[in-house]
Amino acid sequence: MQKLFITKDKLRLFVRGIKESCDEFIAPQREHLDDIVFGDTQDGDGELLEYDGNSVVSPKAFLLPQTEPLFKINSAKDCSFSAIIDKKKRVFYGVRPCDIKALTLMRSFFFEGFVDEFYKEKMNNSIFIALACTRRCSDESFCYEMNSGPQAKEGFDLQLITLSKGCLVEIGSKKGSQIVKKSKKLFTKATPLDEKEAKKTLSVLTKDVKRINYKKLARIMREDKVKESVWEDLGLRCVVCSGCITLCPTCSCFSLADRLNGNQGIRMRYCDGCPYVGFTRMAGGNMPQPLHKDHIRRFFEHKLNVDVTRYRTPSCVGCARCIQTCPGNISIRKFIESAKISIR
Amino acid sequence: MKNEYLPIRAIVEKISDETPDTKTFTLRLIDTAGGVLRYKPGQFLMLSLAGFGEAPFTFASSPSRDSRFQVSVRRVGTLTNALHKLKEKDIVGVRGPYGNIFPLNKIKDKDILFVAGGCGMAPLRSLIQYVFKNRKDYGRIEIIYGCRSPKDMFYKDEIKSWQDNLNSDIHLTVDEPDESWSGTCGVVCVLLPKIKLNPKAAFVFLCGPSVMIKFAIKDILKLGFREQNIYASLERYMKCGIGKCGHCYIQGKYACLDGPNFSYMQMRKLGIDS
Repeated sequence: MQKLFITKDKLRLFVRGIKESCDEFIAPQREHLDDIVFGDTQDGDGELLEYDGNSVVSPKAFLLPQTEPLFKINSAKDCSFSAIIDKKKRVFYGVRPCDIKALTLMRSFFFEGFVDEFYKEKMNNSIFIALACTRRCSDESFCYEMNSGPQAKEGFDLQLITLSKGCLVEIGSKKGSQIVKKSKKLFTKATPLDEKEAKKTLSVLTKDVKRINYKKLARIMREDKVKESVWEDLGLRCVVCSGCITLCPTCSCFSLADRLNGNQGIRMRYCDGCPYVGFTRMAGGNMPQPLHKDHIRRFFEHKLNVDVTRYRTPSCVGCARCIQTCPGNISIRKFIESAKISIR
Repeated sequence: MKNEYLPIRAIVEKISDETPDTKTFTLRLIDTAGGVLRYKPGQFLMLSLAGFGEAPFTFASSPSRDSRFQVSVRRVGTLTNALHKLKEKDIVGVRGPYGNIFPLNKIKDKDILFVAGGCGMAPLRSLIQYVFKNRKDYGRIEIIYGCRSPKDMFYKDEIKSWQDNLNSDIHLTVDEPDESWSGTCGVVCVLLPKIKLNPKAAFVFLCGPSVMIKFAIKDILKLGFREQNIYASLERYMKCGIGKCGHCYIQGKYACLDGPNFSYMQMRKLGIDS
């Protein structure tokens, strides 16, 4: 892969150019409580070209929003519907490697079997510019241990690695090379010194990091060897605030509901998830999974066991958003670390 | 862009009262330009009423060449209540077919036992009709059907016609008999000793409340039926029907894609009784 270099001033120009060619430029911004959030910065210069830490919510929120209309109900009376098509061209800037990995996993999930054309259309109309991490974002995060940071290996169109005088630019796809071509003059070839600096910055972060043996962990879970008391404790700690599923970049469960105004309206999907007691409850009242411990277990099993079989990698990317938000102090990281010793 | 969530329209051709809380709807696609619903026994469809939402229902009729099909709907929630208020010629939305098919290729020339409880008869009916339609392709057929009370029995007239079929038998039982009932009382398991087929080679299809499936399978295994020949049609909450919404997820499988029909072997692997 050929690597390029861009100075910080020219990066600003590059971003301006991209903004002109897309409908939404989704980039990190600092909001009034000092949190970092992704938002459309098309109007104005609010985007942060560099930032420490990670966003509160992952950019998933723009591809699978909290609520999203799926089609119009033209007339409820005679069930007449018409499609809604979202053809917006989006550019995601400054996405962290963990979230890039999450998006890659979501792409696999939504594109397989019955293709969710809704998601696919949005994904295909999007460009992802990743921003590698040059510092650990929080004490809780464990992306290095999960092999999803500090840089993305795939799933990005461009990846920027911040250096002292500018950024090293990696091209990850055809789309990526096309947008670079359009502003060719802004880039120079990366020198061996640039590459060396990037390598050094990143390798310092992963020095002494012990990768989690996710295959072994998956096997322990598959063989039902985690102590029942561990699941019971997790069940007691969950207060069903749904913070984890809302913030998790790989949680994708949803429900459908109709919203009518008179005879017209929409059918929409909205985020839903396994911690909710009613998630598996059927109209007759039958509930295959009534207990909290089963809900948390499902959440953990899906990410750490089932997806290892399906996608050959866990779908927990180690971003630690769920840990930071949990009022019951449930930590998937501590679970992973302790699961290997607390086997029955 | 193909929107998999967008239903197509179907007209209600006929509504018949099945039990005090169940109606059977005969539906016909209005616009068949996109083809008819090419479903096989065991599959389901998503049935919509704009404003009330959408839910999965198994096809209760055997596949046919025309654009008609039947679903039986018990009144239990918001959508089913609204469906019960429909009149003939009203319009609903449908999409599908979804889910897996009963293992039709495996059961050819084999004896078959059907065990249904309450509205669990609806999914099995599509296979029962199919088997009777192609009668010579199958061996002996026994049907066990249990209901809460005689008035909760589905497809009463049709059941009589099944009884008249050669080399087949149907056994009925109710939990709470009334004056009209002179038959067996109790759960479906009490009827199992009555069946006359070779358990080693026969196939079993179950559908009903989860407790019924759990206990019936236990007794069926005791009679010598093979684990891999026992299939249950499971009920799960579903929103999308296409393996995306996550509601029907069971240990990495989705009842809407990998089910709703599971062999007992699969069920054990997934750690579920029913």
